[in-house]
Amino acid sequence: MPKTIMVVDDEPDIRATVKTVLEKNGFKVITAVNGDDCLDKLKKEKPDLILLDIMMPGTPVKEIVPKIKGKIAYLTVVRVTEAEKEQLLKNKNIVDFIQKPFDIKDLVKRVTKLTS
Amino acid sequence: MRLVEMDITKELKDNQVVLLLVEGLEYNDLSLKVAKELFGKKVCYVTLNKTCPSIIENFSKANIKTKGVTFVDAISKTITGRPKAVDSCMYLSSPGALTELSIAITEFIREGYDYIIFDSLTNLLIYQGKGPVAKFVANLITKIKASKTRAVFYALKVDQHQELIQEASMFVDKVVDASK
Repeated sequence: MPKTIMVVDDEPDIRATVKTVLEKNGFKVITAVNGDDCLDKLKKEKPDLILLDIMMPGTPVKEIVPKIKGKIAYLTVVRVTEAEKEQLLKNKNIVDFIQKPFDIKDLVKRVTKLTS
Repeated sequence: MRLVEMDITKELKDNQVVLLLVEGLEYNDLSLKVAKELFGKKVCYVTLNKTCPSIIENFSKANIKTKGVTFVDAISKTITGRPKAVDSCMYLSSPGALTELSIAITEFIREGYDYIIFDSLTNLLIYQGKGPVAKFVANLITKIKASKTRAVFYALKVDQHQELIQEASMFVDKVVDASK
């Protein structure tokens, strides 16, 4: 049974690229356009990992994350320090912090590791 | 104009408000170059895409002193909720809080800051539509022009932001394309 990944990003290019790449690597991928859409889709879906963009329109991510029970990896263009990253990763369901622009091979490797 | 040839001090001497277009790959180099040239004066650096500690760390690695610089960080609170207090850093609630942003920047204009660096215009579009962003930019530039403060607005040169770039071009004194 393939692992399911939810890609939450307001940029259509990112959603499409990540979806294509992960599907080619055997994952089932569902997408959401923002945090509210993500919460809505989580009523029906239980992904093994959520790739969540930090900067999106709509409800801020800091308000979305506490409502999610599954594993989350942040996808972000926002630059933070290592200390800030560690602070963010202390949140029990935040499992990774992936900086954009990301290397596709690295992304697949990290997603595989996080869902295995 | 190639990035290495750009002299932002001269551009801002000749033009009060400059829109600086840059390609994504050159963004960090541009940010360091402008900081190297302008820091040392009274500068207000508005960041919408890097947390304040991360910017300070980035400049420090490049041996750029940030003394005299006040940072307006509109991104940290949207990520962490309660960012760690940092001297010379003012945290705003969100990059989309245009009124809050406008009030904060207006205060620095009133205080007679030499330069405002706005990093970046295109980030605003994630949170707000083109209309409100264009109105915000027009109002802000009007306030800057009524003062002695000089300002540089960064914008990523990508097709999807072309409309805003064109609109902002009407209000600034010069558009410098650092990607050519």
